[in-house]
Amino acid sequence: MNDLSVRRFYGWFTVLGLLVGVLVVIGYYRDEYRGWKDYQRKFIQEEIRRASTPQQRALAESTPVQIRQILLSDLNRVDRCTTCHLAVEDPTYGGYPQPLAYHPLHEQHPFERFGCTICHRGQGRATTTTDAHGDVPHWDHPMLPLQYIQASCGQCHEAADNPAAPELARGQQVFEDSGCRGCHKLNGVGGVIGPELDKVGARRSPEWLKKHFLAPASVTPGSAMPPQKFSETNLEAIILFMLSQTGESAPGYYASMKVIPSASEGQRLFQQKGCIGCHSIGDKGGKVGPALDDVGLRRPPEWMIQHFRDPQTVSPGTVMPRFGFTETEARALTDFLLHLRDQKVALSLPSLMSPAERGREVFRKYGCAGCHGTDAKGGVPNPNAKTAEQVPGLIYVADGYTKDELKMRILKGQREIPALDAKRPPPPLYMSAWAGIIKDSELDDLAAYLFSLKPKGENLGF
Amino acid sequence: MNAPLPKRIWQWFTRTRVGRSIFRIGLPESNLEQSQVMVSSFLLHVQPVKVHRHSLRASYSLGLGLILLYLFLILTGTGVLLMFYYVPSTEKAYDIMKDLQYVVSAGLVIRNMHRWAGHLMVLFVLLHMCRVFYTGAYKRPREFNWVIGVGLFLLTLGLSFTGYLLPWDQLAFWAITVGTNIAGYAPVIGTKLKYLMLGGNVVGQEALTRFYALHVIVLPTVALLMVAVHLWRVRKDGGLSRPDEPGDIVQQIELKQLPTNKTYGLMELARGTTPQVGKNPEDEVFAWPHLVFRELLLFLLVTAVVLFLAIFWNAPLEELANPIHPPNPAKAPWYFLGLQELVSYSAFWGGVVVPGLLVTALMLLPYMDRQRKGVGRWFARERVVANTIFSVCLVIAVVLTIIGTSFRGPNWGWVVPWKQPPAITEGH
Repeated sequence: MNDLSVRRFYGWFTVLGLLVGVLVVIGYYRDEYRGWKDYQRKFIQEEIRRASTPQQRALAESTPVQIRQILLSDLNRVDRCTTCHLAVEDPTYGGYPQPLAYHPLHEQHPFERFGCTICHRGQGRATTTTDAHGDVPHWDHPMLPLQYIQASCGQCHEAADNPAAPELARGQQVFEDSGCRGCHKLNGVGGVIGPELDKVGARRSPEWLKKHFLAPASVTPGSAMPPQKFSETNLEAIILFMLSQTGESAPGYYASMKVIPSASEGQRLFQQKGCIGCHSIGDKGGKVGPALDDVGLRRPPEWMIQHFRDPQTVSPGTVMPRFGFTETEARALTDFLLHLRDQKVALSLPSLMSPAERGREVFRKYGCAGCHGTDAKGGVPNPNAKTAEQVPGLIYVADGYTKDELKMRILKGQREIPALDAKRPPPPLYMSAWAGIIKDSELDDLAAYLFSLKPKGENLGF
Repeated sequence: MNAPLPKRIWQWFTRTRVGRSIFRIGLPESNLEQSQVMVSSFLLHVQPVKVHRHSLRASYSLGLGLILLYLFLILTGTGVLLMFYYVPSTEKAYDIMKDLQYVVSAGLVIRNMHRWAGHLMVLFVLLHMCRVFYTGAYKRPREFNWVIGVGLFLLTLGLSFTGYLLPWDQLAFWAITVGTNIAGYAPVIGTKLKYLMLGGNVVGQEALTRFYALHVIVLPTVALLMVAVHLWRVRKDGGLSRPDEPGDIVQQIELKQLPTNKTYGLMELARGTTPQVGKNPEDEVFAWPHLVFRELLLFLLVTAVVLFLAIFWNAPLEELANPIHPPNPAKAPWYFLGLQELVSYSAFWGGVVVPGLLVTALMLLPYMDRQRKGVGRWFARERVVANTIFSVCLVIAVVLTIIGTSFRGPNWGWVVPWKQPPAITEGH
């Protein structure tokens, strides 16, 4: 059995056996060597260096090198960020370079309940820097640049009245004021000329959004959208607001604080729930219940909260019914009443406003300004439109239409806009049909508003 | 005794009481033991004691069948390891892929091995079929083994296809959507068949459950049984096919004659086409070591190649499956892209008639082509007609697959792979 051919087999066994062995070793090394282990060893060394007592030192030395993760079963997330960012909860690491920097603790958002990616995005399950930070192919949620971090607040909280996210509130303000809804639908309200924005924040990057606002056609060839003229702050704010529209809704516990109790939320509730029917503020409103201008001076907050939850328990025999306000609502209303104590508030109660004033709100609500300009003054470009290549302003509609004609026109819209030059592409912007979207009462108010726009003293006629 | 150390250790071990009880025959030292080792070992007994020199020629068989067996073993091993983690749930499957990559020890390498070995298996089944065809090895008495081989080819595609869905990413979801749509083009039974496969009209949890069950238990079991039959028939048909004339080309293999100090005779009852009839025993050599060692070496080689691929190239994993965002184009797994290309011309002809005819023709081939000449030689001149027809079909299939893979872009339009396609922005 020791002949030549068998010997040659042994040679090959050695070569191939070694090859497989080497590959196994390489595979093992690549699997065993992971970048996060280096970070953990550095952290442990730092802990050892900082240890002042033998006990601390022993504790530091016994720190295991292992994956750290925050399991968030409700959110279906696993955040392993703390595998590298080991000192996020240790204030003494404030000012350390990443990945060892301290994360200012959010009392309302404890790490073990919220993890990291719910706000910062990125890929929580990943354990390499590039993959975890998420700017990699086949991962849709790269880390949100810190300047836009407030966008994440909007995932769980109502945008407008989150006192910790003023930029988000500002972004929403800009969105509503600029008339974006004239073309875009958001949460079911808006036009159909542009795409729905419900998930835009999950699909688009800040860079894309910026280009989109400044020069829409540069990112979406053939876009009908007119370039927007935002100030730098408004631009950043509306980008931030767009980024907050991810279409994801947080479950259970996370959604329980959708509305943050605040004076402005309280004011909205106050207007909505018809409190003004019995109570008055600034001499406006009903006389059945007491005026509320100075109730904050007379009653402590605890009393008011209890009063909202169940009036009979604090003032037996009162005629005020039990409205069934939630804890949050009761708190918000209380905040509002306390706020009244310090400051006069101009209520915008639909029942107290004139039709034209209400119509102005309707004009804003449906984003008419997006095409017809601020205060319906026009000026928005609509290339190749017969009307001076612009969307017409509406301040003279009272001269051209009766109210019924005007309402019909709003309901029906106008799909074909007459072109200036038949050879050029047709005008991109057109009038959406608002039938089925706008309410009858709103339409009446809107017509009243548009009729009220005609400058006083002018009656040129057509 | 100047044997290498591992051999000496092995010899020592097999002489101990325990070693002897396990292996019965140690390292064979004589022709008698060389025979005994083959029949006393469970793993070796499927093979003959003596093997024809022709069967050992690597340039004849290219070892393709063995390579497939080894890939199957590697896939079984890595597959079982993956099953320790995998859960066939649309909620969890994708996250588990991520966990395999990021936190499971060797998880990524095992998944890569499974993926690449799976692709290699499809490729080598095709190569194996080509080898058998071009050497005319499917002829009597091996006709039915060829039919079993075609069955194994379809099973391999089925195994690969069902495994394709399991990661539950975009690639998986849309490849299976496209693939099952092709099945839906079959007349009469098409929609029912698709419904049966998916457990619904679209790819969802039911489809994942079904594909998982098929992938991990049904198809592997059937494949294992068929492989056993396939190998058993190879043995019963006298080893690998070879030219009819004994001594035709066997001298080309270099083997030093073993010592001929025989003190016994091998006797077997033989009839029909079994190998001993009319054969010169001097054309045969002992399977140990000449066959067994070669097989082990090939196993090491296949393991090395799969490991190499798995260590340096990661299996693809795209975004989480999203039923409302199809990629453009959505492509089937690569081995079905020729079909998809055909389907793009005509769903009925490309999705039903052509593949149906091809499989039927493959199954019937050994019964249609009855000529006995040219068996056991590559590209035998006597088989020029059959070889030409097969080659044309093969080239067409390969070209269609390459077109489908690399030359088809958005909306299945023509693209040139070396030119960057214009950036696709989502139209509004």
